[in-house]
Amino acid sequence: MVERKEHRIGLYVVLVLLSVFALVPLIWTLVSSLQSDQQIFENLMPFSWRAFVPVRPTLSAYRALFVEKGFGRVLVNSFVVSFATLIAGVLINGMCGFAFAVFGFRGKSLLFFLVLVSFMIPFEAIAIPLYQVANRLRLVDTYWALILPSVSNGLAIFLFRQFFMGIPKDYVDAGRIDGASWWTVFAKIYMPLAKPVTISAALILFLFQWESFLWPLIAARDPRLTVIQVAIAQLNQENLMMWSQMFAASVLAVVVPVVLILPLQQYYVSGVTGAGLKE
Amino acid sequence: MQNISRKLEAFSPYLFLAPALAGLLVFRLFPIANALVSSFQTTGFSGIGNVRWVGLENYKFLVQDPTFWQSFKATLLFTLVINPVQICAALILALLVNRDGKAINVFRTIFFMPVTVSTTVASVLWGLMLNPNSGLINSMLAMVGISPQPFLTSSRQAMWSIVALTTWRAAGYWMIFILAGLQQVPTSVYEASTIDGANGLQTFRYITFPLLKRTLTFVVVADTSANFLLFVPMYLLTKGGPAMSTNVLMYEAFRNAFIYGDRGKACAIVVVILLLVLLTVGLEFRLLRSEQ
Repeated sequence: MVERKEHRIGLYVVLVLLSVFALVPLIWTLVSSLQSDQQIFENLMPFSWRAFVPVRPTLSAYRALFVEKGFGRVLVNSFVVSFATLIAGVLINGMCGFAFAVFGFRGKSLLFFLVLVSFMIPFEAIAIPLYQVANRLRLVDTYWALILPSVSNGLAIFLFRQFFMGIPKDYVDAGRIDGASWWTVFAKIYMPLAKPVTISAALILFLFQWESFLWPLIAARDPRLTVIQVAIAQLNQENLMMWSQMFAASVLAVVVPVVLILPLQQYYVSGVTGAGLKE
Repeated sequence: MQNISRKLEAFSPYLFLAPALAGLLVFRLFPIANALVSSFQTTGFSGIGNVRWVGLENYKFLVQDPTFWQSFKATLLFTLVINPVQICAALILALLVNRDGKAINVFRTIFFMPVTVSTTVASVLWGLMLNPNSGLINSMLAMVGISPQPFLTSSRQAMWSIVALTTWRAAGYWMIFILAGLQQVPTSVYEASTIDGANGLQTFRYITFPLLKRTLTFVVVADTSANFLLFVPMYLLTKGGPAMSTNVLMYEAFRNAFIYGDRGKACAIVVVILLLVLLTVGLEFRLLRSEQ
């Protein structure tokens, strides 16, 4: 498209203004996490540019989180739960997507419809009744309560199915003639071809767990099981004037998604948008 | 031996399906059925044990409960405001960055940055930004001579503050969907319309919008159902207040389940929310489909 020069300048002015709106909370958070509470408030009353530039940075807020608030354990909990979900989730959702793509069987369209229904309903909608289910299964206040409900993921099943349907049937036939079992066809032929969709599904599963809040809040009230999002909420409820710790905790919670999503952005985008754009 | 392995063969699709589908069944679909059943029961204080069938009692109680209607109204108002705001913001961002160039890629990444912040963290951070006494926003407003605003502590501004803070994150998230949709529109279509002398608005109305309809329908529907279930900002920042102004149904359900211990009533509210989602989503589908 041909654009006039003044249009281009106008465009960039708008883009820069919107970027300020997007970035100010992030920059303020990062800078404030490196300050003492006193510095943070000094820079706000009255407002000073130092709110956005770390003058005399200190790691004291981070130290307090790890030493006093047990954030070491909190981060380990979140990593354990997220990784366990990722590993189990890639395996079983991959298997399920494989079955939908490769086999013909009775009840296929009904079962696939159930998969679609399950991912059109956001997890929050069922958190309250799910608590009753978890309670009856005696899962409440265990790691299992945090992990199990999120392993099966309709979107991940959908993504694997879409990808596997694009693999020519010749691959299956060749393997089967050589006497390979279905498991071998899945594990040795299909999964190695599915790297991009595996990355997308793994990201979705991992981030879903890393960012989940309502479910761990109600299903794991044992302080030994506290995960990162719940820990931040607790800081927020506890001491209203310890802002630097809230900022530092937020940075810790955001660093992990940033490190994962930004380099793998294309996989993340094609994963989450996969359901909306393809039939 | 061969017979057994052949039988196993016939069974293998189900073996591959079983683990994931069992998970969906137990942890996604069964709870919905469970909510429906529980909404016709009362569970007392202990939770398990003394379950009693009460028929429509929970629903009758809701209909007569002014708090429920207040919450219902708050939810509808919230839905009417937040969805158009978020979708327009996402659409504008997507249209702005839907062009080539290194600089544009930088802006795309910047708009995408808030997506890496979870709703929980976003709520905590914006709670500090909007703090009436020492928040960043009032501090910056003071610099340009505007008096401090109450934001989340005022029943007039609380809901708008929540709309703003959720849009900060949601705009970038839905932008990537719309952008993916826009990139499927072939550029030759735009070239033709420019030659025909269409202006920007006409191009959008007659070319971009119809081709984007499928993507937009998905975004509208998915965003609406997500926002009906939004809970974290209310839980962390307003507790449904001030003066019940942000006491949406999702928060009301949570309060009933985990503060008052009334699971039956909570499940009845969850059923109402799910019905509202179905109804609204159905309406949106019809609107976006029929308008050809």
